[in-house]
Amino acid sequence: DRSSGPRVSDTELRVYKDPSKDELPLLPEELVQDSAKDVTYICPFIGPVRGSLTVTNYRLFFRCTDREPVFGLDLPLGGLSRVEKIGAASSRGDVSYGVVCKDMRNLRFVHKEPENSLKKSVFEVLMKFAFPVSNNMSLFAFEYKQVFPENGWKVYDPLAEYKRQGLPNESWRISKVNDHYELCDSYPATLFVPVTITDEELRRVSSFRAKGRIPVLSWIHPESQAAVVRASQTMVGQNGRRCKEDEKLLQAIMDANAQSHKLFIFDARPSVNAAANKMKGGGFESEDAYQNAELVFLDIHNIHVMRESLRKLKDVVYPNIEESHWLSNLESTHWLEHIKLILAGALRIADKVESGKTSVVVHCSDGWDRTPQLTSLALIMLDSHYRTIRGFQILLEKEWLSFGHRFQQRVGHGDKNHTDADRSPIFLQFIDCVWQMTRQFPAAFEFNEYFLITILDHLYSCLFGTFLCNSEQQRLKEEVPKRTVSLWSFVNSQLEEFVNPLYVHYPSHVLFPTVGIRHLQLWVSYYIRWNPRMRPQEPVHQRYKELLAKRAELQKRVEELQREAANRMASSSSERAGSPTRSITPVQTFV
Amino acid sequence: MAFCLLYKPVLQFCEIVVNEANFVRKCIGAESCQDDLWGKLVCTNFKVSFIAHNSLPRQCTHRLLGEHDIPLACVEQVVTVNDVKGKQKILGSNQKLKFNPTELILYCKDFRIIRFRFDEAGPESAKKVCLAIAHYSHPADPQLLFGFEYVGKAYNKIYMRVNGVDPGGGLQTPLFDCSSDWDREIKRTGASEWRVCTINQGYFISPSLPEFFVVPVSLADQDLKQYACCFYSQRIPLWCWNHSSGSALVRMSNISDPQQQRKVEQRISSAITKSHPLRSDVFKSDLDKNLPNIQDIQAALLKLRQICVIDSFEESEEKWLSSLESSRWMEYVRTFLRHAVEVVYMLESRHVSVILLEKEDRDLSCVISCLVQLMCDPHCRSLHSFQGLIQKEWVMAGHRFLDRCNHLKRNDKEESPVFLLFLDCVWQLWNQYPAAFEFTEVYLTVLGDSMWVPVFSTFLFNCPRQRAEHSRDFASSKSIHLGQDQALCFPPVWDWSQQFSLKDQTLFNNPLYVGKIATCVQNGTVKTFTHRRSKVSC
Repeated sequence: DRSSGPRVSDTELRVYKDPSKDELPLLPEELVQDSAKDVTYICPFIGPVRGSLTVTNYRLFFRCTDREPVFGLDLPLGGLSRVEKIGAASSRGDVSYGVVCKDMRNLRFVHKEPENSLKKSVFEVLMKFAFPVSNNMSLFAFEYKQVFPENGWKVYDPLAEYKRQGLPNESWRISKVNDHYELCDSYPATLFVPVTITDEELRRVSSFRAKGRIPVLSWIHPESQAAVVRASQTMVGQNGRRCKEDEKLLQAIMDANAQSHKLFIFDARPSVNAAANKMKGGGFESEDAYQNAELVFLDIHNIHVMRESLRKLKDVVYPNIEESHWLSNLESTHWLEHIKLILAGALRIADKVESGKTSVVVHCSDGWDRTPQLTSLALIMLDSHYRTIRGFQILLEKEWLSFGHRFQQRVGHGDKNHTDADRSPIFLQFIDCVWQMTRQFPAAFEFNEYFLITILDHLYSCLFGTFLCNSEQQRLKEEVPKRTVSLWSFVNSQLEEFVNPLYVHYPSHVLFPTVGIRHLQLWVSYYIRWNPRMRPQEPVHQRYKELLAKRAELQKRVEELQREAANRMASSSSERAGSPTRSITPVQTFV
Repeated sequence: MAFCLLYKPVLQFCEIVVNEANFVRKCIGAESCQDDLWGKLVCTNFKVSFIAHNSLPRQCTHRLLGEHDIPLACVEQVVTVNDVKGKQKILGSNQKLKFNPTELILYCKDFRIIRFRFDEAGPESAKKVCLAIAHYSHPADPQLLFGFEYVGKAYNKIYMRVNGVDPGGGLQTPLFDCSSDWDREIKRTGASEWRVCTINQGYFISPSLPEFFVVPVSLADQDLKQYACCFYSQRIPLWCWNHSSGSALVRMSNISDPQQQRKVEQRISSAITKSHPLRSDVFKSDLDKNLPNIQDIQAALLKLRQICVIDSFEESEEKWLSSLESSRWMEYVRTFLRHAVEVVYMLESRHVSVILLEKEDRDLSCVISCLVQLMCDPHCRSLHSFQGLIQKEWVMAGHRFLDRCNHLKRNDKEESPVFLLFLDCVWQLWNQYPAAFEFTEVYLTVLGDSMWVPVFSTFLFNCPRQRAEHSRDFASSKSIHLGQDQALCFPPVWDWSQQFSLKDQTLFNNPLYVGKIATCVQNGTVKTFTHRRSKVSC
């Protein structure tokens, strides 16, 4: 039953139609853990509202009781990054609680301490269930047993995806060297490498690349055979170590593409940071060791800078916006500047591959943050398949999940350690970049904005297994595909919600977005969606659905008419042919 | 033969070549000259044209202008440079140039900057074409604007066959130049207590009002004639529109005679009150106090232009958002929208009639009254009604298009992009309500650009009377028989077939438009600080 499935609430305050009914929509296996009456939610937009607060093993649910129309808050506990008591109890025994969310909002509640000191306050229960990992409990994704018509875990089959790209071919082969994740525990089992490189050589390369993340193929151009290859940094160190197998591998990557006698290495980092990494044993390819290769730095900053930038953005947009200095405040967060650098980097990669017909190697330090941002954006520009709903899912499964973007660490699922320096909005930034592209090419993407927001909401929700763990190996070890539901099961079972009616499928169009600051926008409908004044004022989503229905109707009509025309043609031609084998009713003539 | 054809500028039937220079290089890229085009630079009485030597004749989509054409009215400043001598001169009309120019830079009103180089051209012909462009882009008299030539020739051609010219080319857009258009508007809005007043026929009462306008039924012509002299330029208060609740939107200029002020104001107010079904009070909204003035708006546009096209790209890219903020253009857009929302609140929720008060009632009122109607009345959001709205609140109400566009380049102090600011406001609304408007962003852009194509009645005059007078003068000087027409029948910009094919006009239709069912678009709206620079404004 689809209606009992989860819905992403796109408004903070949901209005309930029938206030008399208790409308807590529980999911399968979702259990109420505690609830309290007389909780006050200090809404930054409409002021304090009183109501009841319910905590389940999946969500926080607040329903106000003193207002018409009745509305409430309904958010998955996975979206919480911090719950804390603020200050001491007031003279009336009221205690304030602050909830910091991963989705750009903070909530504040006021509640009386329970008089019976043995009884836990609802907020203590909330703290326990909001951070199950820190409390030795499992994430709700492992409990949730909703059945969907489609199994989303089957969306991505690496061999089928590489076959779509025409692989293996005479230059690229599948290597089984990482079948049991021995070569690199953060890489997928299926790797594509040049045919001229042996598995033994790959093992040697792995000791020269950070975390063993060797250069492997991400994508190959169907015509020019120019390849997008991803890796981590070389372990050059201060003494300038070299590795002849690595040099041979890069030469082989270049040789696999007959169209070009050059190879471009895109190092995502600012050159200063890349150089500083030599102190820690890392570094970058020297042009002495790698002849025919040209190294380009893309000046994208690290996870800590990005986290800080998003924090500043949150300060600027939540809860209140200083209208008179909106633009300069936004500028001072540097968020759009970072988006610009990432898009600009991806654009250079796509341009080298498409226009220069040259193969490229992309890496940052470990190759699991900036690298997937760049490769997946470049792939979206280059390959229209990744702009479809299913293609985009494959892209995420491939470039982000199988290649070990550390979702667990970057998001901190169920972990109460909100100051963890490993957290960073890298994936959010990527989705933002995709959104910027959908703005510039409104007819090039099969999915709509709601699809992107749904992905981000479930990045945090812990309802689906898709974004759990740090690598393919970990997900298999935890039996995530067996024990949880994939986000794509949910999405693909109601595709009509996510379709962009303006989409036109042009198979071979390459997108080159404009990346200047003046062409980028703040994604208001994501970052500022909690502010009621910033909401889109027209239900465009509804209008899109109407357009889709209209299109389907017209399509059907066209087919009907075509069939009719074909029939007429067939019958008239057969009449004229006057086939002797067919008995034609003789036309009676009355005289 | 075909080769020769390529060299010739495409001329309108009444257009003449004034001067031309060969072997001119049009600069395309900022840094290198590899993309530059070689060709002939031509100045006509309508446009600056460049005919590239080696480019194939492109199927141009614009019917009046080619790919490289700039209407003279669009030229803001003509700068000649001699980089050998290190000299530079801004050229006006009838000027002398003491050096041979090596380069000509045209700064355009639509933010274009176009450069031509004369390295290979004959120095004399280069100088002559520069002087011609400077001279012809500074017409000494409105009648030298190309529109007169354009429409005058049309008379000579067509008059023989048809008795007069079809005023709007069978347009569906009401022009509000006759009492029937006003009658229909009164009926449509249910403004039964309002009537069309004809006392200004022949423009005998007020020079800047239209011949027909609408007043409360309780005010007799005799009273109006008496009050007229108290108002600035004898502008009797004008009815704009009625809200479905019966509240009226009225625009009014300042009362110039302080002794009469209270009495006249009271009479007007009580007449408006009488025309309200609930006999509600009247709210006066002082626009001069609450909104930026025309000089502020012009200053903001100049700053915006500075950061958009004059400052180096890297420099402006780095500080784009804060520079945009400091231009104040967006702030002004927001101020206008917010003010309109306040007026809507008075009409819609407080059920009172509103008087928009502005000193001359010819600039800020145009913007606010249009925005209010766009916000409240879904009817105005269809293409033809939107055009009717502009006709009603701008053209007929006497917005000084001639002065604000500064077509004659005579008085920079009067120049102000009020209409562009209005289009930007509409664009913002359009963005917030993508399904509420029948027209598209393309339409708004093209409408803004049409201000600089000086053939349309819409943007050529300061008021209807001026149009009539110039028409008469021009007609008599050229022996044109106007027949029954009061004035020369310039095509309004709404006759889009003057500029575009029917196929191109389909780009004006918004596929998301839901029709006239949508309701008020104002509620809790204005979030105009969307950081994106309006495409309309640039």
